[in-house]
Amino acid sequence: MERKVITIYHGPQHPGITGNMSVELDLMGETITRARTHVGYLHRGFEKLIERRTIIQAFTIVCRICVPEPDPNEANFALAVERLAGIEVSERASYIRVMVLEMARLGAQLLWMAGQSGSVGLGTVGQWSIYDRDLILDLFEQLTGGRVYHMYIYPGGVRRELPDGFLERLSALLDYLQKRLDAYDRLFFDNASFQKRAIGVGVVRGEEVLRRGFSGQVLRGCGFARDLRRDNPYLLYDQLEFDIPTQSAGDVYARALVRRAEMRESIRILRQVIAQMPEEGAIMQKLPKHRKFTLPKEDTYVAVESARGEFGYYMAGDGSEMIRRMQVKGPSLIHAFSLLEPLLVGEELSNVALIMNSLGICPPEIER
Amino acid sequence: MMSYLEEHYELIHKTPRLFALHVTREQLLDTLHQITTHTSFDTLSQLTCTDWIEEERFELGYMLTNALRSHNLMLKCSIARDKVTMPSLALLFAQAEVMERELHEMFGIGFEGNETLYDFALEGWCDIPPMRREFDTLAYVNAHYDFREGREDNLDVKEEIKKRKAAAKSAKETPSGA
Amino acid sequence: MKFELKNSLAPLSALSKIFEHPQTLCYPEVKSETVSGYRGFHINDLSTCIGCANCQDVCMNEAIDMIAIDKDKNPKNNSGCIPRIDYGRCCWCSLCTDVCPPDSLKLESECIWADDDANRFLYQPKDKPC
Ligand code: SF4
Ligand code: SF4
Repeated sequence: MERKVITIYHGPQHPGITGNMSVELDLMGETITRARTHVGYLHRGFEKLIERRTIIQAFTIVCRICVPEPDPNEANFALAVERLAGIEVSERASYIRVMVLEMARLGAQLLWMAGQSGSVGLGTVGQWSIYDRDLILDLFEQLTGGRVYHMYIYPGGVRRELPDGFLERLSALLDYLQKRLDAYDRLFFDNASFQKRAIGVGVVRGEEVLRRGFSGQVLRGCGFARDLRRDNPYLLYDQLEFDIPTQSAGDVYARALVRRAEMRESIRILRQVIAQMPEEGAIMQKLPKHRKFTLPKEDTYVAVESARGEFGYYMAGDGSEMIRRMQVKGPSLIHAFSLLEPLLVGEELSNVALIMNSLGICPPEIER
Repeated sequence: MMSYLEEHYELIHKTPRLFALHVTREQLLDTLHQITTHTSFDTLSQLTCTDWIEEERFELGYMLTNALRSHNLMLKCSIARDKVTMPSLALLFAQAEVMERELHEMFGIGFEGNETLYDFALEGWCDIPPMRREFDTLAYVNAHYDFREGREDNLDVKEEIKKRKAAAKSAKETPSGA
Repeated sequence: MKFELKNSLAPLSALSKIFEHPQTLCYPEVKSETVSGYRGFHINDLSTCIGCANCQDVCMNEAIDMIAIDKDKNPKNNSGCIPRIDYGRCCWCSLCTDVCPPDSLKLESECIWADDDANRFLYQPKDKPC
């Protein structure tokens, strides 16, 4: 029988694709023989827009680079501006930032769980985890005034004081989530049908992975305990106790298990933050010449660990009120091209969504 | 690791964990080769480009990271804005391919040896590469998009203040003159 | 890895949810609680707005027009102008409220407005003291 290669586009309008992007697949039967990633459905030109905005105006854009987890972008932006301008942030503001980052990480993991379970047809898990994420968003709403885009971590500190009783409510939510995580174990991580689909699929392994610039769960899923919070600490992460969970198999299931453990670590960090946060202290260091604030002609690079891997910002000032250049590198830039394309070859068509979710590929940070 | 770099290059300490050094276009491949073999900076984690239009140069930044992900080293390389080709690093680092592809599209820099320099995020773009400083975003937007109707009654506040002052003045003068 | 029977049966524990009260809200009969400090629609206290256009200057989306006020409400308003906001452009960043010198411009929790013509989304902030 003659076998024919056909080419199909997986996405951009496909429920299994992670965002507005597409993968062009050559198929021999059900098996992929070649994969090409295409982006460009979401290009908003943020980096260009930022070049003609003052620094506080640019601040409102950066959170929009990542929808599930905007806060690492805000933190990066603030850290880069502070480093260039030599601004010190108070301890209390740093604690609040860590808290926001960890809450966002927890929310992003819950959202990932919805996507990952959806890609194997376990709809119920997604319904639950989206609900639980909403509880985190409720807290964000009280804290920052926005659910998804918080625009809260500001160069010099954070924008608002904690509302009354916020830490107690957060603490209660953590108790609730802790219990829920056990339910998710039963329903999702230990679920035989998820194990059957995920084990041995999308395997990334070998010494090469470090050199190829991968980050996040891709590295931790194949045995490398790399986490910028520990390796290149920012904010107060060097004063907090947490573990970096790893797995050795390097497949979709290993990455899922890493995330499962990371959710527990986030809760652990948040509990420490609640216990250690100073009661008093300024939350905001006023920027000199607030609206006409200038950066010196220098450049810097900052990176934070997001829920999906390393987010790096390169920022160059030129002595004016505008930023000369801000270049964003999210984990997906590398993962969606130099990792995904070879990884899909030889896989079945039905595993594309599974693998993409597991790598945490998200186009907004590829094209900004 | 640092001692090798200190010995052989003029290292700039930006922060305790971030270093930079300047290389020329010709030295780039050789320096990269030396650094990746003699130090642990062996991962390319970002490729940046800054347009210093007033100095007529692009500044490329090759951000290297070590295997422990604890330190960063940036190789900076200035190239002329008009003679814009660089050697590709695709053979050294697989991830360089897509980074170069992006810079090719956004700045119009050619990378010799990279086979994948086709469209990245823009489709069928034939204007000047958009991240170059001479590309005027505002003019582009005004040419391609409209403002919402009904906003024509926007007033210039400075003009209005002047008008009001003048009106107040003449109002004062009129009764005294009458 | 060995696939255990337990792992096939444990997910069925989700069935216990059948006997629980639903956690979703029955909108619009039941609405979620409004949060104070939510970044919703703008309000502007016209008795204190000085018409300085700081808000217009800071808004990078060029969402704000300064328009003539019908009836002067604040003698200190030197320009006789007040802001009006294009809600097709606003991103509710609240920078405009941050830079307002007399703090007259604020965001309220109200945030629902439906219309079938996008060109109507020019919003005159409600005149409310805060
Ligand atoms: S709302 Fe505030 S910033 Fe805007 S014109 Fe009135 S006083 Fe000035
Ligand atoms: S909230 Fe932000 S976008 Fe909206 S009008 Fe104010 S400054 Fe402009």
